[in-house]
Amino acid sequence: MLFSSISFLYFFLPLTLFLYFFVPQKGKNLVLLFMSVLFYAWGEPVYVLLMLAQIAVSFGLTGLMERYRGQRAAGIFYILSVLFPFLALFYFKYIAFFTDILFQVHIKTPALPIGISFYTFQIASYCIDVYHQRVPRQKNLITYAAYVTLFPQLVAGPIVRYREIEKTLTDGIDFSDIHMNFEKGIVRFVTGLGKKVLIANVLGAFVSEVAALGTRTVELSWAYAIAIALQIYFDFSGYSDMAIGLGELFGFQFPENFRHPFIAKSVREFWRRWHITLGAWFRDYVYIPMGGNRVGALRWMFNILVVWLFTGLWHGAGWNFIVWGLLFAVLLVIEKGVRSICRKRIDSGHYVTDIVKHIYVAVVIIISFLIFHNDSLMDALSDIAALVNRGNRIAFDGATLQVCAYLLRNRMGILLIGLFGATPAPLWIWKRLKTSLEKHRFGDVTVHLLQAVFAVGILVLCTAYLIDGSFNPFLYFRF
Amino acid sequence: MKKDRWKQRITIYSFLACIVSMTMLIVIFPKEQISKAERRRLATRPQLAAESILDKSFMEDAEDYLLDHFPFREGLRRIKAQFAYHILKQKENNGIYVDGGYASRLEYPLNEASVVRMADKLVSLKYQYFPNENTWYAVIPDKNFFLAEPNGYPSMDYDRMLELLAQRLDSSGERFDYIDIAAGLEVDDYYHTDTHWRQERLLGTVAVVGEAMGINEALNLQESNFERHEIKDFYGVYYGQSALPMEPDTIVYLTNETTDAARVWNLEENLSKDGQVTMPEHAGAVWNPVYQTQKLEEPLCLDQYDVFLGGAASLQIIKSPKANTDRRLVIFRDSFTSSLAPLLLEAYSEITLIDLRYISTPLVGEYVNFEGADILFLYNTSIINNASMLK
Repeated sequence: MLFSSISFLYFFLPLTLFLYFFVPQKGKNLVLLFMSVLFYAWGEPVYVLLMLAQIAVSFGLTGLMERYRGQRAAGIFYILSVLFPFLALFYFKYIAFFTDILFQVHIKTPALPIGISFYTFQIASYCIDVYHQRVPRQKNLITYAAYVTLFPQLVAGPIVRYREIEKTLTDGIDFSDIHMNFEKGIVRFVTGLGKKVLIANVLGAFVSEVAALGTRTVELSWAYAIAIALQIYFDFSGYSDMAIGLGELFGFQFPENFRHPFIAKSVREFWRRWHITLGAWFRDYVYIPMGGNRVGALRWMFNILVVWLFTGLWHGAGWNFIVWGLLFAVLLVIEKGVRSICRKRIDSGHYVTDIVKHIYVAVVIIISFLIFHNDSLMDALSDIAALVNRGNRIAFDGATLQVCAYLLRNRMGILLIGLFGATPAPLWIWKRLKTSLEKHRFGDVTVHLLQAVFAVGILVLCTAYLIDGSFNPFLYFRF
Repeated sequence: MKKDRWKQRITIYSFLACIVSMTMLIVIFPKEQISKAERRRLATRPQLAAESILDKSFMEDAEDYLLDHFPFREGLRRIKAQFAYHILKQKENNGIYVDGGYASRLEYPLNEASVVRMADKLVSLKYQYFPNENTWYAVIPDKNFFLAEPNGYPSMDYDRMLELLAQRLDSSGERFDYIDIAAGLEVDDYYHTDTHWRQERLLGTVAVVGEAMGINEALNLQESNFERHEIKDFYGVYYGQSALPMEPDTIVYLTNETTDAARVWNLEENLSKDGQVTMPEHAGAVWNPVYQTQKLEEPLCLDQYDVFLGGAASLQIIKSPKANTDRRLVIFRDSFTSSLAPLLLEAYSEITLIDLRYISTPLVGEYVNFEGADILFLYNTSIINNASMLK
């Protein structure tokens, strides 16, 4: 089920809220589990059994881990508990790709179960953390299953670790802050809904229009590339906002997943702002166990390469994703090398240096997302070549030039809104407005009224878009 | 903080009230069968079954059903259109733009392969059915022909379309005479809210066609020869699709003794459930008037333009007992011809209309006698650009 669907907004959500808040504390996890399974089964009526099987197996294996702690068997159960979800992930997501490149054997695998990459990582992180005694094992199967299946973050993240929501799961919702959290959750949810429906979907329509053209002008090629980067950002960060907002409605504090990544001044900073929970997962469960940066230069480079190879592969089984991941590995190594040579100049804070750094990151992001977006490397290279007026995508005939100019004019509004919305400026403006309003007598009430108007207004507008349009894919569902 | 709770409740209660009230309205709101604005039947309630759940069709159908039956649907679609136009500054909504009070669908670029396919279709039909009959073709421009370029919208390369069509037809060795009707048309000859042209402004176009086909002597195209009838509040197909506020059009249809006397035989209406067709010459055949105003009374009537010959049909034969000649005409056509054909009834005792979107070429020969008839291909540019829809 999509968050941006009528069935979710007007049936699933109110029903779940009603059940959750009207059952006693003891029954809340059961309500969450039941509704989350229903939510998942709406999109995956068969693979819901796979997810439930993974939950049961990992619950059982962590139990055995605890029982045999200190003995060799615990290690075996630990390995099995991590291996099992990853084997399922490998089968559905990677086996066709690897048998093809390694043995030139084409095998057909079933469609990728929705959200398998996300819940596999959650199960694995839980099993690893229990083994290393970073979190206590959850002895209640319903509570554990509620953690894995928790619908706000089940199919497209953020990747929530057990310890981050353990308190709410075990102690129950904290009603002392419920009004504040609920209000925050509503605003966050509709913000995400708006990012997804009003910006990402419209940008997606533009991307489809341009892709259908075949040839295009350099200006349109840049607009296309920027639109792809913005679409991916608003799609994914919109989903994360909705997930975090929904989490707050149900009393959970999910980790942030995006912090205005396009204002980064280095690739390293970009990845501290983009898909934060995935980066943190690889850092904590792959990079640091491999030695992190407390190793020799060569080993460090190897560690970086492995982590980014995995990051690329996590997004999909394809050469474009591998190249996409390795591109960031190479850039991170180069950045570190350059920084070690001229750290003072780079970190001088001079505006010219900052502008150069912004331009560098913008170009990297644009090129990297062209690689990410295309199904094949050749298509990505054609799109990149078109940015510098080269290759087979450049339009010459008058009719196409006219169409290109029109498409650019037609979508200039959403492109500008997207560029503005990807910066911290809207939040900054709202905070300034809020501070200035709160100085007045009824300013505080006005702020809340404005929030209410925003929440209802965006909800109505998104509903209007959903009713009138059919372009509503979630890009990150395919991971 | 406790003292802030009532303020926080403003957002909470507003949001929840909005969601819950809409949920209740979805449940209790009366369900329509059709959307007149969008010219389509709305989704029906999905049937719950194990199979439909496992193959996900139930979920997909349920989403469609909820989208189609959402309360205040038209109002919400208008809100979306206004947002797209005024906030996002889009030049179109759902591919429809409005300029100078005329709504038109964007259609670009020219699909040259489709034009070639169209020409080949014409040639193959001539080879197969009427190698010796006089054959003409004319192209009806869509509204973009008049609106797009001056207002900065992209459109097909119309000159290239005609050039390609002529080249391909000439190279076949068969004779096809071109009738240029575009030169005499202007955007005012079309409805503001609809794709079609207006019958009351077609007399000049009919004269051009008549001149080329040598039938003008049999036609009286003086306006005084016709009586005007109006159908008010016609919201055309683009009105619904664009969801933008527009004034309704008025359909004007022209009648005289000849059109009143003429009767229309329609293949679909004469086809029994077991596949038997009652041909026009057989007893029991169903005949209708040229202007089928009774269509407007039907609750499921989607398009008032259906008043002309009853709307879309694969094959229609119009008998005109008061025609000034006993000539016969066969028109391969789209919906534009529905309003033009009645104006030719004085010159032909029988006009056969074939819409290849609804009947396949091999079947045509079973029902139509081409011998000795005049043949006219009359298609609008949009069909030529999407010729794969012809069977």
